[in-house]
Amino acid sequence: MKVLPKIPKSWNLETKPHKFCPGCGHGLILKALGQVIDELGIQDRVVFGCDIGCSLLSWDFFNVDSVQTHHGRTTPVMVGIKRANPELVVVAYMGDGGGYAIGSQHLVNAATRDDKITVLLVNNTNYAMTGGQMAPTTMPGQKTETTPYGRDVSEAGYPMMGPEMVAAISQDGAYVARGSVARFRKLKEYIKKALENQMAMRGFSFVETLSTCPTNWRTNAEQTWAFLEDEMTKQYPPGELKTPTGKEG
Amino acid sequence: MVKTDIKYVQKDVHKGKAMFRIFPGLCKGCGLCREKCPEEALSWSEELGVYGTPTVVADAEKCKACRICERVCPDCAIAIERKAKQKKEN
Repeated sequence: MKVLPKIPKSWNLETKPHKFCPGCGHGLILKALGQVIDELGIQDRVVFGCDIGCSLLSWDFFNVDSVQTHHGRTTPVMVGIKRANPELVVVAYMGDGGGYAIGSQHLVNAATRDDKITVLLVNNTNYAMTGGQMAPTTMPGQKTETTPYGRDVSEAGYPMMGPEMVAAISQDGAYVARGSVARFRKLKEYIKKALENQMAMRGFSFVETLSTCPTNWRTNAEQTWAFLEDEMTKQYPPGELKTPTGKEG
Repeated sequence: MVKTDIKYVQKDVHKGKAMFRIFPGLCKGCGLCREKCPEEALSWSEELGVYGTPTVVADAEKCKACRICERVCPDCAIAIERKAKQKKEN
């Protein structure tokens, strides 16, 4: 009997092992997304868009239609695809640099217009692909390549609270949540709700996920979990920030 | 990776009630599973993974086949099969 790894059916086994670093949280988020796509049975309807940054390494990750565009422009590209064919389920997958820094105007405008798309944003508190520079999500006191003495809030400002902002500017039908790769079942639940919200055409769906980056945090496995679960959740509390009105549960 | 020849190493755990299976071609040796194991049943193995780093192996006595390691593996390199459950389904 042929024994295959327990991977989601929507994953492309030919390209595995994937290109992310050992211990990277992207694999877990894409695993959750793959399992949700399998459960909803929408593999032939999904269009997956990835961004610049570490998230672009997922361009051949799934056996679904994929497109890769520039920093944060995944959002408007996905809006265009969704408007051209509302039957499709579109997923814009981006990192914190693409979504909150250079591409934030697209995120803000898509959320304000209440476009019926799903945005999955990965927060690993730095610009990981270019070597771990300070990002909008770097936490106060956190050491990165460009803040070697820790992020000083008097000089470098405060970190960006993305889901809170999206929840504030989006309309009633929006779904906004913040998950964490340390809470895999909850994360899967949030992604599933976000896709269902889009399929029901209720409104904008946004899920930020707290992820790990052992390469640029320079942590071992134990310190990686400790940083994610103890320090990051203090600054970024996981949970649902906005659920569509009139929706059960 | 070709779909037909995926190498795996398997071991009976939890008094023979479950099967712990690791795919060295997928394991990158990040060690996230070892930290999450509630029974501390995982240890580094002689078998090397895709980047030449050690993979993990489960202790047959300690492992309770809770499948937390399977869930936290970003590469889906671990697969646990519970035998009793499989019989019921068949």
